[in-house]
Amino acid sequence: MSEGEERVRRSLWDSFKSVLYGMAGHDMARFALKTRGSMEHLFILITMGDLLGVPILPPYYSLRLLPYVVPQISTWKRRMLRERDLTDALA
Amino acid sequence: MNALLVLLLACAAVVLGYGWYARKIDREVIQPDDKKATPAKMFMDGVDFMPTNRNVLFGYQFKSIAALGPILGPIVAVQFGWLPALLWILLGTIFIGWVQDYASIIVGAREEGQTFGALSYRLISPRARTILLVFIYFYLWLIMGSFGVQVGFNLLTQPAVPLGVLATILLGVLAGQMTYKWKQDIILTTVVTVVLSFVGIWLGTLPAVRDFFSAILGYRMVEGKLVSPTLFLAVTQAKLIGSLAVVLICYFGGVLPIWRWAQPINYVAFWIVFLGVVGGVLGLLIWRPDMGDFPVFTRFNPGVGPLWPILFVTVACGAISGWHSLVSSSGSARQLEKETDALFVGGGAMYLEMFFAIIAYLTATVAFGGLKGYQDAGGGAAPASVFSTGLATFMNKWGLPMDLGKAYGAVFLTLMALTIMYLVVRFMRVASAEALGDRIPILHNVHVGTIVALVLTLILIWIVPFLQIWVVFGAANQLMASLALLLISLWLLSRGKNFQWSFWPFVFMFVTTIAALLWNAYSALLVKLPQAKTADAFAAQLIIGIVALVLVVAAGLLAYDGLRALFRARAAAAAPAAARE
Repeated sequence: MSEGEERVRRSLWDSFKSVLYGMAGHDMARFALKTRGSMEHLFILITMGDLLGVPILPPYYSLRLLPYVVPQISTWKRRMLRERDLTDALA
Repeated sequence: MNALLVLLLACAAVVLGYGWYARKIDREVIQPDDKKATPAKMFMDGVDFMPTNRNVLFGYQFKSIAALGPILGPIVAVQFGWLPALLWILLGTIFIGWVQDYASIIVGAREEGQTFGALSYRLISPRARTILLVFIYFYLWLIMGSFGVQVGFNLLTQPAVPLGVLATILLGVLAGQMTYKWKQDIILTTVVTVVLSFVGIWLGTLPAVRDFFSAILGYRMVEGKLVSPTLFLAVTQAKLIGSLAVVLICYFGGVLPIWRWAQPINYVAFWIVFLGVVGGVLGLLIWRPDMGDFPVFTRFNPGVGPLWPILFVTVACGAISGWHSLVSSSGSARQLEKETDALFVGGGAMYLEMFFAIIAYLTATVAFGGLKGYQDAGGGAAPASVFSTGLATFMNKWGLPMDLGKAYGAVFLTLMALTIMYLVVRFMRVASAEALGDRIPILHNVHVGTIVALVLTLILIWIVPFLQIWVVFGAANQLMASLALLLISLWLLSRGKNFQWSFWPFVFMFVTTIAALLWNAYSALLVKLPQAKTADAFAAQLIIGIVALVLVVAAGLLAYDGLRALFRARAAAAAPAAARE
């Protein structure tokens, strides 16, 4: 088998594996990520809620945690403030 | 007509429809640009928005759109003969089906991943979102009813089936435990649970097990046939147990965490369904049967309703489905890595679903050697039985015993139906809490919301005949699709693009589905209702007639607002041009 044929064969096999993973496991992986993301976002809301105008306890611990949360603040804010409706539940 | 010729025609439809027409629209109208950031990249949060490889997304999209619709629909539709059903599956996909799926992804991707609810609020009218949600609730209720009848009345009532379903469900729960709690390797988990599920299906076909379930279902041999005693309405002991089992399984799916119940069961079920499809196709290719004396065309009204509009709504998801637009806009559009992937993901998955529908169509037309065999297997009133027997016939050609094949086919269909029913019951629970939770606070309770959805489902299952639910479900499904096409046309117009390729499919689907619903309402309220002799027959016609009318009114309001928005957008587009002249 030439190198070109081998490459085509490997590419087809990889595509097949990806499609199969998409059918069988992608939803599970996505749900696990969603669960983790939701827990993290809930934690940030509890500790850093004042960034969105939600009153929280005196922010000593928030300030201690702030450096660790900074990378997630923009996505967290976007997710918290994004307009949602019931069709989101189908995604 | 030979089965291989049908498959070749389907391949030709892909070459012509996907290879030429879809690519032309993609290239000349949508003009996807990989330099544009998709919502998955712009808003990546690792939760809802996440760039995903096109092959993975293709698999995800296909699995999300392929449920019982493309299987049961074509089997019901062949009552008109093999030609009308085949033509609609192929032409419907080429001119309408892929348009909706692909364009829904594109609209979602170009509109920052907004859902159809939010888009209808912005592009059509503020009340459009509320009407759309009412419409979706009724639509989902019909899904629960139609799938519930087939699983509860036709599949779980076969003595060889319950053990296989029970085994798969318990092993699915075990798969969840192994994956999430015991942190076991996924390959080991898959092999153990799937192999044991197959063992469970096989055990279910053993005489001792069948006798055991026959006794539970109350079967007695009367004149060579297994008969279960009627308990109330037209519900036999077997049907009562079957329908209660469906409701109980869905209850757990509705109230337990997704990782504990719905998701791992769906995972194990996927392998059973996937291997079933591969086995069926293999048998078909070995056997290469023809349709025997199956008629090209039976008659204009074979009992289910007139060819137009009823054929176009009975085929359901095999040609076009509103469900796809919801999945495409809310799910896949937010995971699209590049705009150029949209055609492969949306259009490609729809064409694969067309093949799925063709396989189901062939189980009805070629597996029994003619029309009589199809009717003896259950015909349009019991498409699930037709499919499981047809699939068993195909798999028998490479050596799988017929009894085992029939049980496997029935478990396969049951699991496919349950996959969607878990999602639907959860959605109905959330919808009822959102809509009525402020006035009836108890609906916020997870158990109460789920029980309300399941009681509504039982009413449909026990009272309304399957064919009537299916036709109204099909009409609601296609109507949802036509409303998605209207939204897509509005979006194209607002972007100054050619919208004819989605507008005319909208017109056809809207007129056809409204006609189907009106025909159903007329048939139920003015023809069958006055003839009803029992209270349950009266209630059945009343329910189906009212649901059809509610859907017509909701769709009429949405279309009225949508067309007004369309004319406004056209006038706005024409005004600057007139000013320039």
